[in-house]
Amino acid sequence: MTNKTLIVAASEFNTQTRSKAFMIGLLMMPVFMIVAMGVQKFTRDATDVKDRTFAVVDRTGALFAPLKAAADEWNAGVKAGGTQTAPLFLPRQESFEQGDDQARAALSDRVKRDELFAFVEIPADALDPATASRVQYYSNHPAYRTLPAWVSNTINREIVNLRFRDAAIDRALVSRLTRRVEMSELGLLQRDTSGAIKAAAPVDKVRTTGIPVGMMMILLFSMMSGAPQLLNSVIEEKMSRISEVLIGSITPFELMMGKLLGSMAVSLLLATVYLVGGTAVARHYGYGDSIHLSDMAWLLVFLILASFIFGAIFITIGAACSDLKDAQGMMTPAMILMMLPWMTWFSILNAPESKVSVGLSLFPTATPFLMLLRIMLPPGPPGWQIGLGLVLTTVTSMAAVYAAGKIFRTGLLMQGKAATFGEMWKWVRAD
Amino acid sequence: MHSAIRLTDVTKRFDGVTAVDRLTLAVPGGSIYGFIGPNGSGKTTTLRMIMHLLLPDEGRIEVLGSADTRAARDRVGYLPEERGLYKKMQVRRLLRYYGRLKGRSIAELDPVIDEWLARLGMAGWGDRKIETLSKGMSQKVQFVAAVVSRPELLILDEPFSGLDPVNAEALKDAVLEVRRHGTTVVFSTHDMATAERMCDRIFMIFKGRKVLDGTLDEIQAEYGFDTVRVRTAAGAAALAGLPAVESVNDYGQQQEVRLTSEPQAFLRQLAARTDVYHFEVTRPSLHDIFVRIARPPQEREGVAAK
Repeated sequence: MTNKTLIVAASEFNTQTRSKAFMIGLLMMPVFMIVAMGVQKFTRDATDVKDRTFAVVDRTGALFAPLKAAADEWNAGVKAGGTQTAPLFLPRQESFEQGDDQARAALSDRVKRDELFAFVEIPADALDPATASRVQYYSNHPAYRTLPAWVSNTINREIVNLRFRDAAIDRALVSRLTRRVEMSELGLLQRDTSGAIKAAAPVDKVRTTGIPVGMMMILLFSMMSGAPQLLNSVIEEKMSRISEVLIGSITPFELMMGKLLGSMAVSLLLATVYLVGGTAVARHYGYGDSIHLSDMAWLLVFLILASFIFGAIFITIGAACSDLKDAQGMMTPAMILMMLPWMTWFSILNAPESKVSVGLSLFPTATPFLMLLRIMLPPGPPGWQIGLGLVLTTVTSMAAVYAAGKIFRTGLLMQGKAATFGEMWKWVRAD
Repeated sequence: MHSAIRLTDVTKRFDGVTAVDRLTLAVPGGSIYGFIGPNGSGKTTTLRMIMHLLLPDEGRIEVLGSADTRAARDRVGYLPEERGLYKKMQVRRLLRYYGRLKGRSIAELDPVIDEWLARLGMAGWGDRKIETLSKGMSQKVQFVAAVVSRPELLILDEPFSGLDPVNAEALKDAVLEVRRHGTTVVFSTHDMATAERMCDRIFMIFKGRKVLDGTLDEIQAEYGFDTVRVRTAAGAAALAGLPAVESVNDYGQQQEVRLTSEPQAFLRQLAARTDVYHFEVTRPSLHDIFVRIARPPQEREGVAAK
């Protein structure tokens, strides 16, 4: 590596880290997380607490009273902490004959006028275990699920209680006899160096999936903030003919490598900031021991490989285009490649050993992100898959840098229309 | 005298079109060498090959004694035809960057930067961003970027184009100052008067081929004393139909006439037609020579017929 390459890298790093885009990139991940947490908290705290008054037509004559008692119990519960956390359920008893559609229409009108939120019809034979009838719930708020779910659960619980009572079976005894035995999910027992056995730790979702996904996101956000800036940088130099001056002082390959290294340093800086912040947060919540040095080393290795691949891709697009408008069309395939891990990480989380997961994590542009995720998900992929992923990604990054170097050399001094893929292929094959 | 640049039978083609055709040229060290020629004649292509931005298809190029033009890069300053600067960068940071890419340290560069900014009336502008500069100021910064590494060879592609007279004068003085320190200067221009006044040697390329190469005296001598400047009572009309007239360049109050015969015989013919106020036998100007070479054939015939 020449001194001039490092001078270009330092300049690229300085230019990028002084830009607004860098500050946005730096803040993107924490802001994204804070906003996500904030939205969750807001939606939890800002629950709709408007009263839900609903009419109940109980043709059994036995269910309204327990339903009313259950509602009172619910209402007491939602106000128990001093702050109301959910709507009050206020059942009102109504009655009309089974075939009286006029009465139903009248209740519907009351719902439309917001006098009622819904109305419920309980059929007369609801207590009969052989019944095929259904409880009817009418409302113009189909998206609100809490009330119908509560009504259904409460009515069914009371129906079961009444059926047990009619059959002279002790409900309490049945509950006792049918009580579930809960299961704990644990990791494996470990032996330390002295042979002593360490108890298995309970499975903790934050530890087993939250932190691996967090590490992958750090890599993804670092790359998304760094590599695409190269495209703007190359196009600016092309459009304003700066590249002609630079190529008068330095070879195109040195210039390109300088840009790649500068961009990689930007991504590394972002990843470091995110890692330090993430580790501090993890320690605060007692998960500091879940982030290992080996994980950081893998992150570094994959960041270097991803920087070369995506940096080379964005440099190629910049060199092949003469303005940002041309570049936007060519960016779509590159952005799809970059978003592939984003679109598929959830399926890998559910089945890290599936054929799809293995295949995706061996796809070179996705390997840095998805293999990192798989490595961090216990028990991790077999060594041959990690090795193969590294080899394929390294070969791809070398090929990408080689091709980008050829395209950069020719495209940098070209003006006018954007190069076609065919022309770029010709440049790559040229001596 | 050694040659700062030597081209031998250099040819460059683009998609089958020959842009430069078997060009042979030697630029003496320490000289100011002017490249002239119409648009698209091959000037910029030649300069780009000298800068190793383009590779010749045939022939050999030596720059500062090295056949590998890349090897001399750090000793060559370059101002391209279409200027480019990083808009968001500060002037000093940009000049340091360009200078460091030529192998100079910041400690070496800073005094040179200050000296040049002061010389070009930009002292104290080092912290300004490029985007805040006027076009003239930007061009001066671009010039400083080309000379900040104290190059042995300075290549300037159309350095004076687009400049107002004041800035053009400042840049001309700067070029002469660089030459005084022993730097060889090669520049291309469309301004024949500038080439005549500044250049030790002038080279003209036309349709990829060398058509002129020498000092102004040598070039003019080649074209002889076949030109007279006249001012008469009847103006250009008095020249019509005179057998000695090959072509006329009419400036309104004065006409520049190229002759096919001896000037005194022409004077007698002209005096017989009108009062002659001014009659001067002269060499053709560089502008006239340029036009004679570069004017399309049909236009040349048209002029001759006038």
